[in-house]
Amino acid sequence: MVNLSISAQLVATLKAAGVDFFVSVPCKLLAGQIRLLEQDTDVCYLPVTREEEGFGICAGASLGGRMPCILMQDSGLGNSINALKSLIQFFQIPVVMLMSYRGSPGEPVPAQVPMGLLAPELLKLMQIPVLNCHQPGDLGDIGSLVEHARIAQSPVAIFIDFQLMEGDA
Amino acid sequence: MNRYELIETLVPVLKDTLVVCNIGIPSQELFSICDRENHFYMLGSMGLCSSIGLGLALTTNKSVVALEGDGALLMNLGTLATIGNRAPDNLILLVIDNGSYGSTGDQATYTNEATSLAAMARGGGCQSVIECPGDETARVLANALDAKQPSVIISKVVPGNRPLPVVPLHPIVLRERFKETIQT
Repeated sequence: MVNLSISAQLVATLKAAGVDFFVSVPCKLLAGQIRLLEQDTDVCYLPVTREEEGFGICAGASLGGRMPCILMQDSGLGNSINALKSLIQFFQIPVVMLMSYRGSPGEPVPAQVPMGLLAPELLKLMQIPVLNCHQPGDLGDIGSLVEHARIAQSPVAIFIDFQLMEGDA
Repeated sequence: MNRYELIETLVPVLKDTLVVCNIGIPSQELFSICDRENHFYMLGSMGLCSSIGLGLALTTNKSVVALEGDGALLMNLGTLATIGNRAPDNLILLVIDNGSYGSTGDQATYTNEATSLAAMARGGGCQSVIECPGDETARVLANALDAKQPSVIISKVVPGNRPLPVVPLHPIVLRERFKETIQT
């Protein structure tokens, strides 16, 4: 996979791990993956209007037998806490959260920083396992994280940051 | 006709569909009238009934009816755009519009005043949108199920709640029996 862009590696790795249903709320760091998913005929993909709506759709897809993934900014975590707690975690539904780590070093928008600072601790407080992808080699752990979501019947989060996505084609 | 009386008329029509039911008293009333394994009672996450229904409809061939309320739909209006553009033929969004937040003390919703959920659904891109009185809803729903196209039904009823206990099912029991129903 060394010749693939990071976005293509992310999508391919998730698909290889059995993820077959994707929803997204956009972000600059997710643009490459969304472009690929829009053209991907192997999986179901649809844009959604807000993160908590996306978690509802993912819950329905999981009941229907799929392994869902939501692409979202870390700021969207703030919009989703009740959906995660009283739907996804209450019914123990596996969902992969592919999250851009906005507000981390490389962030050009000051207003992204407060939620960026809070997001890792919020995920810890919510007992959601996290994989930080800071360099391409970190993507190798995505498969076992997705399997952990199935075993633990839990949402799991993948952070992708500015350094990882630098030079993504 | 109030919500409880409406649900009594809907239950026979919902026998062979997957039903996602709005949180709170709507779920308690449906459970009390007729508990079946094809019912997914939302125990939390107000506003997400139509979204759960959409995710389900996209991943199963069975008919899916999302039994939503006016107050809950107003919490998640973006869903009307997503459904208006991406709903498959097996999804019906049935909004029980009693103009009231029934589970929290019957505070009035804006559908009592200038707000039209049918107009919002059309604005979101939904093609088949029918607003009807409660006592015509079972027939409208049966026709919509036969039509095999995505539909939004706004059923106008009056406020009123039965005093009932919370749905006594464990979430994992509820999830698993519902999943088994989908697979059979």
